[in-house]
Amino acid sequence: MTSPDLVPLPPVAGRILDAQLHLLDRQVLDTDGVPVTTVDDLELSGPALGEEIPVGTPAPVLDALLTGPVLGTRIFGGRPPSSRLIRIPWKDVADVGVVVRLGVRGGPLDAGWVERWVRDKIIARIPGGRHDPR
Amino acid sequence: MILGDLLGTPVRDADGGRLGRVADVRFVLDGTPRQLMSEARVLGLVVSPHSAASFLGYERINLAQPWPLANLLRWRHRGSYLVLWEDIAMVGKDAVRLRPGFTRYSASLEDGGRQRAGDGK
Repeated sequence: MTSPDLVPLPPVAGRILDAQLHLLDRQVLDTDGVPVTTVDDLELSGPALGEEIPVGTPAPVLDALLTGPVLGTRIFGGRPPSSRLIRIPWKDVADVGVVVRLGVRGGPLDAGWVERWVRDKIIARIPGGRHDPR
Repeated sequence: MILGDLLGTPVRDADGGRLGRVADVRFVLDGTPRQLMSEARVLGLVVSPHSAASFLGYERINLAQPWPLANLLRWRHRGSYLVLWEDIAMVGKDAVRLRPGFTRYSASLEDGGRQRAGDGK
């Protein structure tokens, strides 16, 4: 699997997560198991681009999961400007498995604004759209 | 910074020699404990000498099936290794530069590999 000349990784205290394998493109569920969004990108606390990293600098940490309008940029390249991406803070994440599970309810999160807008502006105006189907 | 900008960036050694590209970023959950999970600290970068990205991670786990796919992807990502954060000298827009005398660690996710191998038995 790996070349014999590679040094084995010394043991680390915590669980290991690889961004591509375990986080990116995973579905995000809220604390009730309701789908919120998917992880489109991640935001790190550093380092600053193009600046030398002094020896002994603490490693950056994962600040937030990012989601946003990435369909176009996935097809044509690039990424949306940082201001257009919606952040879900890492402190709200409860578990990472097949899906990323949050410890908070998804309703008030910014990530669900499109769904809320469609519900309030379009679905609510359809006759019978304001109550549960019976 | 946004992690997507880092993935696929060329990696160079201290003399500017080309080593590969950033295929993945490895985190370890051993930072300050928060209300639900610990902070995820950057442990290092997975560098792939022959490909710009990693797909399905066969080069990091012991899974060997389906055989053609596993072998093809393992060959495509051959020679991948992990560089720890301490060995990174600069993260630029166009390249990541490593410190002189950096160490190539195995990128294998051993625990994950053992678990999966055991599941199949």
